[in-house]
Amino acid sequence: MEEWRLLLTGAKDAFTNMAIDEAVLRSVVKGESKNTVRFFQWVPSTVSIGYFQGIDQEVDFLVCKNKGVDVVRRITGGGAVFHDYNGEITYSVAVNESHPKIPKNIIDSYHVLCGGLINGFKLLGLNAEFKPINDIVVNSKKISGSAHTRRFGGVLQHGTILYDVNINLMFSLLKVSDEKIRDKMIKSVEERVTSIKKEKGNADKKNVVDAMIKGFESALNIKLVEGKLSREEIEIAEELKVNKYGTKEWNFKR
Amino acid sequence: MGQRNGILSAEYKVEGGKLLKCTLNVDSNVISSIKITGDFFMYPEEKIESLEQMLAGVKMDEESVREKMNDFFKTDVQVVGADAEDFVKLIMRTLSL
Repeated sequence: MEEWRLLLTGAKDAFTNMAIDEAVLRSVVKGESKNTVRFFQWVPSTVSIGYFQGIDQEVDFLVCKNKGVDVVRRITGGGAVFHDYNGEITYSVAVNESHPKIPKNIIDSYHVLCGGLINGFKLLGLNAEFKPINDIVVNSKKISGSAHTRRFGGVLQHGTILYDVNINLMFSLLKVSDEKIRDKMIKSVEERVTSIKKEKGNADKKNVVDAMIKGFESALNIKLVEGKLSREEIEIAEELKVNKYGTKEWNFKR
Repeated sequence: MGQRNGILSAEYKVEGGKLLKCTLNVDSNVISSIKITGDFFMYPEEKIESLEQMLAGVKMDEESVREKMNDFFKTDVQVVGADAEDFVKLIMRTLSL
């Protein structure tokens, strides 16, 4: 069975986390690292925005500052995500674009890679389903969203696994200009978003990650073997953090 | 419709797709600059800047915008969550607000 690398990098700051994802992708594409599945968290909690989003349109900086929440632009498209240290686990997959398991079609690729999470949710007793374009739902409510990019000859897909969601906090950080709309939105989001804790009554972080590891193994027919970031990856990540993800030029470019 | 000048903006939610936003500068009915944002996906990502450059100098009417948009979608770019016509609707919607 094909072996992929498992990375459990724990909780790091936003700029380091995004730099690691890109460093791993670069290294995987060059053949220096095995295809990789990584699980991680964010400290401090962070709002990540999609590559194409206007940072001022999406984020309430004053509230973020008051709550000690960082903001980072991702290399991937998609929407704003609140990575709550107390309720969210992020996964990322870096794989060669030419890998036989990876479809050429992007929506098909979401489906294949989200298959790992769907299997994981099922192991946790949740009836998770893929909802195109890039979401996973349980009882028609979103429990995970993913974003995908292709560059350097590789695929990077990362996304969120909600195990305990604080919707009021989430929406105080994201910008909605009209207070009335904000109230309406929170209500409708409560009807549209769920978490492992909401669905099951409890959620243990380690159980969630263990289930997702097994989920990816069965969905992709691989064995995940725990490894570490290479020295080169750490160096590239450090460089990307300083010169890209941690810079105003990057985060405020749109 | 009279001459359009100034900064215009609009949002457009694609049915079953993504939310598109744009802010543009119009000078004598010509787009002088435009910024397109939203939660869609475009590969390669940097192509969004090419699109914005292509649209600068284009007359602010539906046919001119559509022609340029179709040119862009014929280049080596993939967009997920919106199509060429959605971006045309987004831009033309700035005139109705």
